[in-house]
Amino acid sequence: MSRIARLSIIFASALFVGAPVATAQAKDKVKVGFIGPLTGGVSANGLGGRNSADLAVKLRNAHAKTKYEYELVVLDDECKPNVAVQVATKMAADKEIVAAATHYCSATAIATVDVYHKFGFPIIVWGAVLPDITYRAKYAEVHRVNGTMINQNDANAELISKIGFKNVAVIHDTTDYGKGHNEYFSKAFAKLGGKIVGTFGVTADQQDFTAELTQIKALNPEVIYFGGLTPIGVRIRSQMDKLGIKAVFDGTSGIVSDAFIQGLGPLAEGSLAFREGAPTEKLPGGKFFMENYAAQKYDNPPEAYGAFSFAAMDLILDSIEKVGPDRKKVIQELANVKERDSIVGKVTFDDHGQNTVAVITKYVVQDGKFVEWDDSEYATGKRKLPGQK
Amino acid sequence: MSEVMQKMRAPLLPGVVALALSTAYLIALLAAEKQALIIGLLAFAVVAVLAAHYLGWLNLVSRSFADQEDVLGIYAILAACVVAAFFHDNHFVLLLFVTVLLYTVATLGLNIQFGYAGVLNFAGASFFGIGAYTSAVLSTYTAVPHLLVLLIGGMLAALIGSLLLVPVLRTRGHYAALVTIAFALLLKTFLEVNNVLGGPQGMQVKGMSILGWSFNDNFEIGKIEMSFYLNYFVVSMLLLTGTFVLVRRLERSWIGLNLDALRLDEIAASCFGLDIARWKITAFLLGNFLIGIAGALFGMVGGFVAPNNYTFADSLIMVSILLLGGIGNPWGLVVATFIVVVVPEKLQTIQEYRILLFALIVIMMLLFRPEGLLPRPVRRYFPGWRA
Repeated sequence: MSRIARLSIIFASALFVGAPVATAQAKDKVKVGFIGPLTGGVSANGLGGRNSADLAVKLRNAHAKTKYEYELVVLDDECKPNVAVQVATKMAADKEIVAAATHYCSATAIATVDVYHKFGFPIIVWGAVLPDITYRAKYAEVHRVNGTMINQNDANAELISKIGFKNVAVIHDTTDYGKGHNEYFSKAFAKLGGKIVGTFGVTADQQDFTAELTQIKALNPEVIYFGGLTPIGVRIRSQMDKLGIKAVFDGTSGIVSDAFIQGLGPLAEGSLAFREGAPTEKLPGGKFFMENYAAQKYDNPPEAYGAFSFAAMDLILDSIEKVGPDRKKVIQELANVKERDSIVGKVTFDDHGQNTVAVITKYVVQDGKFVEWDDSEYATGKRKLPGQK
Repeated sequence: MSEVMQKMRAPLLPGVVALALSTAYLIALLAAEKQALIIGLLAFAVVAVLAAHYLGWLNLVSRSFADQEDVLGIYAILAACVVAAFFHDNHFVLLLFVTVLLYTVATLGLNIQFGYAGVLNFAGASFFGIGAYTSAVLSTYTAVPHLLVLLIGGMLAALIGSLLLVPVLRTRGHYAALVTIAFALLLKTFLEVNNVLGGPQGMQVKGMSILGWSFNDNFEIGKIEMSFYLNYFVVSMLLLTGTFVLVRRLERSWIGLNLDALRLDEIAASCFGLDIARWKITAFLLGNFLIGIAGALFGMVGGFVAPNNYTFADSLIMVSILLLGGIGNPWGLVVATFIVVVVPEKLQTIQEYRILLFALIVIMMLLFRPEGLLPRPVRRYFPGWRA
């Protein structure tokens, strides 16, 4: 083959590969954003949140009366603060994006609030529970539809002592999520007269908990409180079983996911967990949400915070419909949100942008499902948790 | 004599053309937003580079770079400035660009350790983190001038790194690597349990300001509004240029020769009277110093430090930049850093599959070009000399 022929073949193939350049559209569009962990250990929650936000946008676009056509821009924060700052900058600096529902991981949310403030970019946090995200500074741009971990742990401590447990050992991961949970739970439980017999910090990627659990076994607590996310929760619960520890496994919102039950099978039975908001099925718009979600045939379930993501996105779209695609006006509009109906119940933002109507749902795993405590056979006394009187 | 040398020099043109083309390509890639366009551009680059290689053009370029490095270096700085000027009001692209520059500085530091002295260091991100935490602590609690903070960040990284000297000197190969991996894990846990340093939640870092010029405010030249990241671009570019020249000079000097001898055969080197410990220490500390400076500046750019930013996985990313670029070749590092930092970001459009695709690309590269994109050429004892 001659040199010229070779050259032309190469260029032809290069053109072929480079050719599919999308053509510009003439339609008027408004962009809204979503940020969550789409890859990594907690990606199940991120994908569920993404799908739910996507659903909110799709349903809105399907409405005949909407003023704008919305387009969802999705970015992945990998649950890492440095990546989160990068993607937050990308989204906030893009003037076409008006507002966004952002972050499942507390570490990423707390790292990025300054970025949003700097760019004047209105966001609604849809999953992160660290109180500091809304309460460390008073940023008009930052809002949150879900409750904080303070409410969660008050409800948790109350239930535990109501059942009659007095001695609790705490295992928490050493991220801000786990540390915060430890702090607020220990406070709440001590107030109710309970005793924390031991506190153990573990790293979020630890595999083996024999050392901690052997010590806990010697302390003989009635309950092991766990502040952390599903992956290590599954490991700790199964290693408890191996070591013959009979204590009740008492988790936080971090383990409310289908992955927890899938990972443990029958061992999950009797685990406690707490989450803000009513369970999705019981929400005012829960049925509507679940039906529409199923109709879209997404690959992943909405997970625990899907409904919040949907509500956050819906709130953003409502505001844009009302005041137009202008960041400053959207911020003003969001500040006025009071007693607003949403699929997670009424939403009222306080002066820090925090939703104050925080309903906490108590869960217990019964027959491979997270069942609301009050409806469960454990509450009626039909079944008993280990050590329950 | 000098005339003969002049004649033997490769022409400047191929290098300049290559630089101009890659600058244009970089601008196109950074500006591209549409999924199809980005994937098309990436595929185009692969095809184009393969084609150039096939036609022997890459060879011309590399010869031109080898002989006219100083001139082309200045052109490269100009090219970077052109890219920055093109995106003067685009915060995100400039942030990405600054990230690339600072990661290059850090991997240049790693290059001294891995590439020249053969000292393994799998804790690059940890030393980067020490620098970043230094700037967080100093800018929060003290009024130390910020340029000095950068220096202190570097020195602290070197100082804390010197804790590792004894185990690094007494172990070899895999075992030395294990020592640094252990250090990376230890440091992360230390940062997480240490509440003064913000614990797992991390700390905010104030933006840089020099003589009252605040780096975190947008500014205007004429009537055109500039992104505040342009400030950081200038400082990072200066830092990178300085580091690059330093590393290049170091490589060519007798110190570089000693380090090479050390890497290739420790026993032979010591038979020739080289002080093994001395040169290992020099390389390790100097490398960590550079990584620390880059980290300190990066802390200010990002505005936030948290232990999760500096995990073992991040160290591996630095090492993979080194492997991808070709160990020991600073130019290769520049190219590799662009690939490793920019490509995953550009692939955001395919969401959860992007890391998978990125991993595939890296594996393919290592499979078909295990010596890296731009392998280190044979040592040149004086310009124009050819092996």
